[in-house]
Amino acid sequence: MKFLPFVLKHLRRNWIRTLSTVLAMAVCIFLFCTLQTILASINGMLESSSATRLISRNAVSLVFNLPLSYGARIAAVPGVKRVATTSWFGGSLPAKKEGKAEEGSETTTDWSQFFPNMAVDADPYFAMYPEFEIPPDQYKAFKEDLQGAVIGRKLANKFNWKVGDHFFLESFIPPYRKKSGPFEFTVRAIFDTDAVKHPNTDTGLMLFHYKYLYEGTGQHISAGTYNIEIDDPSQAGAVSKAIDAQFENSDAQTHTETEQAFAASFIAMAGNLAFLLNSIGLAVSFTILLVTANTMSMAVRERRTEIAVLKTLGFSSMHVMGLIVAEAIALGAIGGGLGLSGSQGLMYVLTHAPGIKDMLAGIGLSELHLKPAIAALGFSVALGLGFAAGFVPAMNAYRARITDMLRTV
Amino acid sequence: MSSAQANAVRATAAPETAEPMVDVREVRKVYRRDAEELTVLDGIDLQVPAGEFVALMGPSGSGKTTLLNLIAGIDRPTSGQVIVAGTDVARLSESELAKWRSRSVGFIFQFYNLIPVLRAVENVELPLLLTRLSKKERRERALTALKVVGLADRSGHYPRQLSGGQEQRVAIARAIVGDPSVLVADEPTGDLDAKSAEDILALMETLNREFKKTIVMVTHDPRAASRAHVQHHLEKGVLKGD
Repeated sequence: MKFLPFVLKHLRRNWIRTLSTVLAMAVCIFLFCTLQTILASINGMLESSSATRLISRNAVSLVFNLPLSYGARIAAVPGVKRVATTSWFGGSLPAKKEGKAEEGSETTTDWSQFFPNMAVDADPYFAMYPEFEIPPDQYKAFKEDLQGAVIGRKLANKFNWKVGDHFFLESFIPPYRKKSGPFEFTVRAIFDTDAVKHPNTDTGLMLFHYKYLYEGTGQHISAGTYNIEIDDPSQAGAVSKAIDAQFENSDAQTHTETEQAFAASFIAMAGNLAFLLNSIGLAVSFTILLVTANTMSMAVRERRTEIAVLKTLGFSSMHVMGLIVAEAIALGAIGGGLGLSGSQGLMYVLTHAPGIKDMLAGIGLSELHLKPAIAALGFSVALGLGFAAGFVPAMNAYRARITDMLRTV
Repeated sequence: MSSAQANAVRATAAPETAEPMVDVREVRKVYRRDAEELTVLDGIDLQVPAGEFVALMGPSGSGKTTLLNLIAGIDRPTSGQVIVAGTDVARLSESELAKWRSRSVGFIFQFYNLIPVLRAVENVELPLLLTRLSKKERRERALTALKVVGLADRSGHYPRQLSGGQEQRVAIARAIVGDPSVLVADEPTGDLDAKSAEDILALMETLNREFKKTIVMVTHDPRAASRAHVQHHLEKGVLKGD
């Protein structure tokens, strides 16, 4: 520790160079932690998927629906336990709080309050999602009310909604809109989840009767997807194949996959996100390694005489090497600390800024925060980069002979 | 200083019978560059008694600095022995040699070579970082060393805030702070004006006279050399005597 002030004083030798290197390191760690946090959130979303659940969608694209007649045919496939029609409603709270817009008038949508909401076949759906824990009396009340809605605890807390409260939602998907205005809902049940058993289950969503949507839109809609529960997870591939084979020669061919694969492909609509994010992280880290290594090489080169003096005074080669490596690691630590703070700050802004937080919640990224493991990894990367950048110049200083260095002016 | 005076000082500083503080025996130093061999020191024998102030003179390339570096333990002879304060320097490993330097030798450079980001007192304290002394003890010793060289009032100054002469005084304080047996100085007045050079030489004389430091100084300057008790001349790697 007695050498620390000596190391830190050297960092102050060239303020601009030190500052630019620290900032470069900070940007690197900021990007690394931010990208890893996003990836971790996405992975968390994927991990919450069950191996016994399949999702069947239109083979062309998720944008196209499937005929309602498919439900019964899928249920008849051997190995299928139950089937639930599901449609992603895409509803948001109208800015006009009273709800129903006047006939023919445009209702303004309040995107800042967006949250995921889906129309489902209640019985089979909730049967295949045991992680949604609903009090039986509330579930009964929900079933008896066509306008009833089941909301997660997080959503209830967010809007301070209680059982019996009313609200309105208007979809941005044209077939799911009605001329008479937004859909009206009544909170009939609030579900919780066991955070230990199902840590990645999102309680920020809302579910309602598919029948309500179907009838509200004049019975013109079809099914967005079919959620399927199977008897044996090991048969997921075979069952998926059997389902898709049923509709091979139809106008609307199906593509059936596990819930996890479905979620992954949903996210992959934006490209191979994980690959992209990791590639960016790697490229930035490598660049910063070069920048820091260059800085350290220059710093050591211009201090050759001082290194010779230190050795002359009795500092061993290991001492000198340690001081240089410590200096590089200090650069990494300061930059890493700044980067972590920046990443933490961004996460805070994203999860607290009106509009942005709801948009993220809408795509299932409501739990966006810098996890300690990622922060530790990011900081380790910073220290590692510092060490790697300082090692070669330090080795050169270790090997250099005093008389040679004293001769260099 | 005349030869008679020098002999008198030598007699009082260290009896002839005592083991020399610096004992260089049959030392050769050969540099190899590719296939070419360059003999810089050729069979040097030099004994410096404890408490002696010796000047090494000679033209550029004569091997003065190389000999000084061997005595200071920052270089190794190709053959022969360099025994300083009872230790055969050439036999020590790199890490042992570093430890030995920190204990036994104080080095004064021509260009002071202070660390620019450290204050005067921190520069002086630097060698003490290798000891087990507490922070307080280190600081006290550094301030004492600065007092000896007459710069106690400049302890908080950075090297850039000091004159050349003051920088060299700080460098001398750094050299003596560990209380080494031998001080080696490589043209300590070479970068100074006449007045500052005079002050530095007077200080070195004081260190030799009052603190009984054995000093080996390389210089081009006959006036500086005259302050030493003994002068040795090197030519083409061979010692020519007083």
